Amino acid sequence: MDSSTSSLVEGGVVKDGGSGAKPGSYYAYGIPYLPIDGYPGKIIAIEGTDGVGRSTQIRLLREWLEVQGYGVIETGWTRSQLMQPTIELAKASNTLNKLTFVLLYATDFADRLEKEIIPALKAGFIVLSDRYVFTAMARAGLRGVDRTWMRSLYGFAIAPHLVFYLKIDEKTLIRRVLQSRGMDYWESGMDMKLGDDIYESFRAYQRSLLREYASMADEFGFRVLDARRKVDVIQDELRRQIGAFLAEPDGAGQSPVTNP
Amino acid sequence: MTEWNSSALVKAATKTGKKKNALTPMTFSLLHATDFADRLLYNIIPPLKAGMIVLADRYTYTAFSRDAARGVDRRWVRELYSFAVKPDMAVYFRVPIEVSTDRLLARRVKLKFYEAGMDMGWSSNPIDSFRMFQGKVLDEYDRIVEEFGLSVVNATGSITDQQRTFRKLVSQHLKIEDDDGQLDEQLG
Repeated sequence: MDSSTSSLVEGGVVKDGGSGAKPGSYYAYGIPYLPIDGYPGKIIAIEGTDGVGRSTQIRLLREWLEVQGYGVIETGWTRSQLMQPTIELAKASNTLNKLTFVLLYATDFADRLEKEIIPALKAGFIVLSDRYVFTAMARAGLRGVDRTWMRSLYGFAIAPHLVFYLKIDEKTLIRRVLQSRGMDYWESGMDMKLGDDIYESFRAYQRSLLREYASMADEFGFRVLDARRKVDVIQDELRRQIGAFLAEPDGAGQSPVTNP
Repeated sequence: MTEWNSSALVKAATKTGKKKNALTPMTFSLLHATDFADRLLYNIIPPLKAGMIVLADRYTYTAFSRDAARGVDRRWVRELYSFAVKPDMAVYFRVPIEVSTDRLLARRVKLKFYEAGMDMGWSSNPIDSFRMFQGKVLDEYDRIVEEFGLSVVNATGSITDQQRTFRKLVSQHLKIEDDDGQLDEQLG
């Protein structure tokens, strides 16, 4: 196309969707018809590959926050009403190519952003996001989709206030996944045709995925937590950091119980 | 496993969304981009590789104008479609808003919800809504013509006149001889 606008430079300020974006504001161009400035809610994203215990941590966080009087909503990939059936079908057929897959996921995210996340932020809720745009970026990145384009695509996303990355090593991850539900086609990156052996494919795929996440940690300001530790140890750490953030004057600052 | 192609998938999602009037300007834009990506990879790139001519009835410019008219960021839509192949030639058939409205109303019994821009909530009257929405779409096209150097055909004239101009443009581009006689024969 003529608009070979590979950079996201606007008014001399590089808005590359990275650490430059202010938490709670759009990464880049955003959604012009939905101004979000001054919305009191907060987005807390929990990132990490499958099998790191994200959903357990989120369930525990939700209870803890609600007891303190915060309104909480949860959101996660492919949960949009609009796209869930379509994406499930697409996964079942594995005939989609990477570009259309990326765009279907982006549509799912957009639907949830406009219908769940932004209204919740407006109402002062805490949004607990089980994965965020980083998962989409990691998966697309290792499939060879242009990283700059991915960042520009998700320029309509809102920079979370906190991103926790539950980091795990390959060995622990493999044991956990095998102990719980086993390896599935997509988590093993079988679509990438790395090999017929699902175990080898899973290992190679997850290893590259971990590398992708690691490369984004600085760019997007991940708070890295060691996911090999016990559930309650990780939960305590999450609560400590979230508690500290919410107590800041520019954090939520209006905890109905602890900060009258 | 059932074989599905993604265009069928996108169609299903679009249909659900449209039926429930559940699409926002952003999801409308992204779903159409998904569909475009699929057609690009399956229907456009292979014939190009084989050296064929692809005639595309609307291209990315339609998305640029329609999405921007709905309030989506212009720069974002252009970057979104940066995976598209730049067309060798793009022709815009231009009509004034009145002609566009009249033609559409003459052709159809009822305007479709999204086509009339009813999702924007500007008017509960479909015809008024269409006029407002289409007005914005045409403004966007004027901007696009300049930005991307589209060739313009005056589409208020007769079909024969339009086709004559169109063929002239294509002939110049392909450096082939323009045979006006053939057109007269075809169109009577």
